[in-house]
Amino acid sequence: MADDKDVLRDVWFGRIPACFTLSPEEITEREAEPYYLLLPRVSYLTLVTDKVKKHFLKVMKTEDVEEIWFEYEGSPLKWHYPTGVLFDLHASNTALPWNITVHFKNFPEHELLHCASNSVIEAHFMSCIKEADALKHKSQVINDMQKKDHKQLWMGLQNDKFDQFWAMNRKLMEYPTEEGGFRYIPFRIYQTMSERPFIQKLFRPVSPEGNPLTLGDLLKELFPAAICVEDEPKRYQVIIHGIEPLLETPIQWLSEHLSHPDNFLHISVIPAPSD
Amino acid sequence: MAGERHSASCYLDERTFRLCCQLFLQHSVTIQDGWSWEEIKGADEGFMRKTVLIPVRSDASHHEDVCSVRTENTDSLTEELQADVEDEAAGLQAVCQRYEYHVVYSSSYQIPVLYFRVSTLDGRSVSLEDVWSNVHPNYRQRLRQEPWDTLTQQVVLGTAHFIKGGARSEKTTVVDNLIYTLVVLLLNLHEHVYCSQRLNYIVTWLSVVGPVVGLDVPLSYSTAVSAPD
Repeated sequence: MADDKDVLRDVWFGRIPACFTLSPEEITEREAEPYYLLLPRVSYLTLVTDKVKKHFLKVMKTEDVEEIWFEYEGSPLKWHYPTGVLFDLHASNTALPWNITVHFKNFPEHELLHCASNSVIEAHFMSCIKEADALKHKSQVINDMQKKDHKQLWMGLQNDKFDQFWAMNRKLMEYPTEEGGFRYIPFRIYQTMSERPFIQKLFRPVSPEGNPLTLGDLLKELFPAAICVEDEPKRYQVIIHGIEPLLETPIQWLSEHLSHPDNFLHISVIPAPSD
Repeated sequence: MAGERHSASCYLDERTFRLCCQLFLQHSVTIQDGWSWEEIKGADEGFMRKTVLIPVRSDASHHEDVCSVRTENTDSLTEELQADVEDEAAGLQAVCQRYEYHVVYSSSYQIPVLYFRVSTLDGRSVSLEDVWSNVHPNYRQRLRQEPWDTLTQQVVLGTAHFIKGGARSEKTTVVDNLIYTLVVLLLNLHEHVYCSQRLNYIVTWLSVVGPVVGLDVPLSYSTAVSAPD
């Protein structure tokens, strides 16, 4: 499966060019230049923006600095979503670079989680991995791993080390051959305009008759509006890692190859652009 | 899920969760315990919610001293001492925090999860250290082995909540997610309680986990609330 390994690498090394600008509401001693950065799709905003923070702190007084948070066109960006998901959801069809506004005060308590340190990110990341394994393997694989193995997953993500990460993660991607796939697929479907943050339900990758189910089957059950009927214009785009996979793609394959490091398949459903 | 009945995998399915909650809520209404059901628009999902105002203890022992002075000396209190006690009590009552509890069903773990969020009356989130200081001393020792410093999203609503963290190892800084602590707790509970099918899962579970995070679950729930059919 040489091709499939390439897919894993392409997913891991996906980047989004971003331009960070300080909010005009912030008090500065002199004008701050914007800061440009290539954001890893699979990581988390607060994990990869130390340099952004340092850059803007240079023009600010310490007393004016509280916890950093990011916003795009008025929407606070949830750092605990992978960066690529945030982009696909909010800025897919806009021109690059992705323009993000940086804030140091008026933290939106009801919309964002605090991120006091990297251990908060690590705890969140590990909790996602554990939940994914609860779905895939009834937690058997993750529980059989030692603490140092868990640490390896985190360090692999934190330090952008594909081989270190996948040496451990491949165990989480195994399944008994006779089953044909995981017990349930860990996935989340995001929409911008919705009451709920995401849709997450139990979904088996294989039908009771033993047929592999597809992305289309998943959407038909959980988001039928996303499947366009033949004569009608397409209303939604279904995006994973910035691309629209064919609806015929087996969901098991997507889970193994297009999941984020947190082992979840994050699916963004956005309104199709009206040309 | 309903088919698996041997003790190790006796999980709670979503339908039973809803039924248990409805029965729980009926009793809550009777005793005016303040729980409500919130339905998510556009999904057949919901959760139970309750908001409580809890006075902040500046110091647990100090609070107990004030109480003991009141009970022991009511008859012989001088006016001055009585005024002092009332001032102290007023001072304690004046500082309140809002605890918001959500009982949510986790389809991933097939168990209920208790989320809670603590904020000041003007809406600011309270720090973990401050929440910690309000935990009853009886629970603190146990919780010292299971600190909560993971902040994670409430799965259904999307607001910020604390999730109690799991055990902290000395050698690493990884904090295991609470859900694992709860899963262990609940799996143990399962074997002894749920599989008997005589008790309401939510009542039993909440009676155990609730008090640890300041949530009072009156005893009348245990007698008044039945199991779903």
